[in-house]
Amino acid sequence: MIQDPCILNDVTKCIGCEECVAACKKVNDLPAEDAPPRVGHSDDGLTADRWTSIVRLPEGANVRKQCRHCLEPACVSVCPVGALKKTPEGPVTYDKSLCMGCRYCMMGCPFGIPRYEWDSVNPSIRKCVMCFEQMAAGKIQKPACVEACPKEATFFGSREQMLAEAKRRIAAEPDLYIDHVWGEHEVGGTSVLYVSGFDLSFLNWQGSGELGDQALPDLTWAALRKVPAEFIGMGTLMTGIWWVIDRRMRRQRAEAEEPERDDE
Amino acid sequence: MSKRIQIFKGILWFIVGLAAAVTVVRFTRGLGTSTALSDTTPWGLWVGFDVMGGVALAAGGFVVAAIVYIFRQEKYHAAARPAVLTAMLGYSAVAVGLLYDLGLPWNIWHAMIYWNPRSPLFEVAWCVMLYLTVLVFEFVPVFLERTRFQKAYRFFLKLQLPLVVLGIMLSTLHQSSLGSLILIMPFRLHALWYTPLLPELFFLSAICLGMIVVIFESTITSWLYERKPETEMLSGLGRLAAIGLSIYMAVRLIDLGRQGKFGLIFDGSSASTLFLIEMGLLTFLPLCMFAIPAVRRNPNGLFIASTLGLSGLVFNRINASGLAQVWATGSDYFPFWTEFVISFGIVAGFALIFFFIQEHFPVDAEIWEGQEKLRKLQLFRLPRFDRMSRIWLGDAGFAARRVYSVLFVVAFALALALVPWSPLVDTTPVERARGKDVLRVGFPVGTVQFPHKEHVDRLGQESCGTCHHLHKVGDSGTPCSECHRDMYLSTRIFDHYFHVGQLQGNASCIECHPSEEPKVAATTKACSECHKKDMMAATSRVKEFAGANAPGMRQAMHALCIECHRTEWEKVEVKEKKPDLFRCATCHRTPVRHRDELRQQRENEELEVAGFAGG
Repeated sequence: MIQDPCILNDVTKCIGCEECVAACKKVNDLPAEDAPPRVGHSDDGLTADRWTSIVRLPEGANVRKQCRHCLEPACVSVCPVGALKKTPEGPVTYDKSLCMGCRYCMMGCPFGIPRYEWDSVNPSIRKCVMCFEQMAAGKIQKPACVEACPKEATFFGSREQMLAEAKRRIAAEPDLYIDHVWGEHEVGGTSVLYVSGFDLSFLNWQGSGELGDQALPDLTWAALRKVPAEFIGMGTLMTGIWWVIDRRMRRQRAEAEEPERDDE
Repeated sequence: MSKRIQIFKGILWFIVGLAAAVTVVRFTRGLGTSTALSDTTPWGLWVGFDVMGGVALAAGGFVVAAIVYIFRQEKYHAAARPAVLTAMLGYSAVAVGLLYDLGLPWNIWHAMIYWNPRSPLFEVAWCVMLYLTVLVFEFVPVFLERTRFQKAYRFFLKLQLPLVVLGIMLSTLHQSSLGSLILIMPFRLHALWYTPLLPELFFLSAICLGMIVVIFESTITSWLYERKPETEMLSGLGRLAAIGLSIYMAVRLIDLGRQGKFGLIFDGSSASTLFLIEMGLLTFLPLCMFAIPAVRRNPNGLFIASTLGLSGLVFNRINASGLAQVWATGSDYFPFWTEFVISFGIVAGFALIFFFIQEHFPVDAEIWEGQEKLRKLQLFRLPRFDRMSRIWLGDAGFAARRVYSVLFVVAFALALALVPWSPLVDTTPVERARGKDVLRVGFPVGTVQFPHKEHVDRLGQESCGTCHHLHKVGDSGTPCSECHRDMYLSTRIFDHYFHVGQLQGNASCIECHPSEEPKVAATTKACSECHKKDMMAATSRVKEFAGANAPGMRQAMHALCIECHRTEWEKVEVKEKKPDLFRCATCHRTPVRHRDELRQQRENEELEVAGFAGG
């Protein structure tokens, strides 16, 4: 398996045939028909049984949505037991045997990707894992969705190659594309990139504006790295205060007993 | 025992009974059935109230311990033991709440062995475990005090100071780490709540809460056990709480100003209302009440102020962890009643344990002595018997326990009857197909390409029954949406009552149910045995209409269309160019998932229809 695998989606080429969805379901052994939608389900089509979906826009554009496999994934950083893991190769994978089901990853994901098996008594987090297992075993060379695409709207290669390809495309047809590769810098960079003719920030969680280029785990780390100092500092402070007050009280008590002796 | 405490305990037992029934559903049917959580709102009331709020309520333990043992303010000594007890039970409640909220609660111990020190939740988990242990050790002397294990009692007393210091250290981390928990989601949280100072704010609010909780708990206990509240001590705490709250408010407002977010407070959005309620009504008002000496020396004033302050700070944590996120993003989460029942049930359960410990161990000297006196009196009372049956009537507590049991069982049965046993599913009504080339199926699911005329031309006039496999009586060309009414859910289309009426009442049972068989669905005659003409079932793909339920639109359509398209596609010789028949996009071609566009389109159509009707 190649190092730093990456998927590039060319939004201008996608016809929305959903062959990628069908291939994904087949390779990952997901049921063909999704369960009836839950109250409060999201509109993007992703479900526990559909790890990639096509968001259809009124202009007739189709945008494929899937896990972005961030370079510094928020979901991995927040998982208290390390059930979500950034593999050394690159894809973000999930290990059910470690999971406690706290769903912090779902809260932390800036793209709102992880889905939950709400109707199960033994639920798992479900999301795209870039066909990691099958690729690592050498069964397939590319993720199933890329392999299945009939229109060359989605590509697979190392992140470097894909970035170069994206920039080549933009340079070749500057009228067709906006000069921006989505995923190059967002939240510290992602391993699923997009080139498109219109703004794609609606792919962010609930379409809420720009995410910025800062990796999200840094936000927590800024607070967490102070923890040992806080812990020891508080301990020292409290012991110190106790010592000072205790000493003063002892002295007062001694003084209260002293006076008579002073009088003598 | 006073009447008040008995009534109060009765109510608590009732809530615990309700919660017990919901517990059964939670653990046999999963989170989907027992909560309104969804992929857009994965954290809800249980995290906000039980975990965040529970930890907040436990703040009294470390604040009072610091005041009494570190700052040596001896006049607050009487508050120390109840505060530590509240903290210990509060943390246990958090642990129990987590068991409900975790999807895989039996893996809760994984936090101990699989480490990810970069996760704030990891820090939270460890602090809960360690601080709970510390609290138990802090509280052990209370259990031992009036027993013969005096050696152990003195040993634990010596441990008191190091334990208190350790407890404060852990609490500092823990209270602030709840704030760190939210730091990673600036995109989810409303700007009025999100700030890099969240951990510090949570720590500050915990200190205020610590004092307010003690006031609240002490005034309530005094009222329930009908004794004089320790107003002198509590007004002192009230003064400290006022100072704490002003610091908390000042930091929060200065921080908002520093970020230039003052404008957001008064922009009239739902989030700003939420903020004004939280800060104005539930933080500033109690602050003022505590600041006025006349109010804080009055038990009623103390009670009202502490209730307000308590709800304000717990509300802050619920807002930060969930409510403000929901409101900021427009997801439509509102906790399901079962969620409230569990949340309050856990609180009620631990309140009962609180009373039990308070009555049986010297937590509060006065209450315990009162109870001891009662217990001694009991020993000298003659046993009472029912005059007729000669059954022992039990001691005084027995009658109360009998009432509690009944309340528990009634509540359990009630909730078990009301609780839903299948998950909450969104209904997606299917619209009637309105001709032409596009099949409108539900809203906002969208549209499917279906050129009706082309199908008729290609397949011939006699092919109607291939798709229109069932008609309503006296109709021909009944649309699909008549029976497949929901996009995903099956619809019950058999009306037993109607059939009984049509077939002349009870004498007609044997028309459908063979007389010698039990009258259940399995033994009933197939519908098509009578309805030959109006139920064509012309294609083998459509199962002969036999059941009372029509499958959802999607299932019905996929079963019908895909099969037929596949056979037609396979029929084509390879020499020719294969038609694009057997692909998802053959039918799913139009934009289907953009709400606004579709809504606009629909509104326009409705306007047109209305215009025509008017004209």
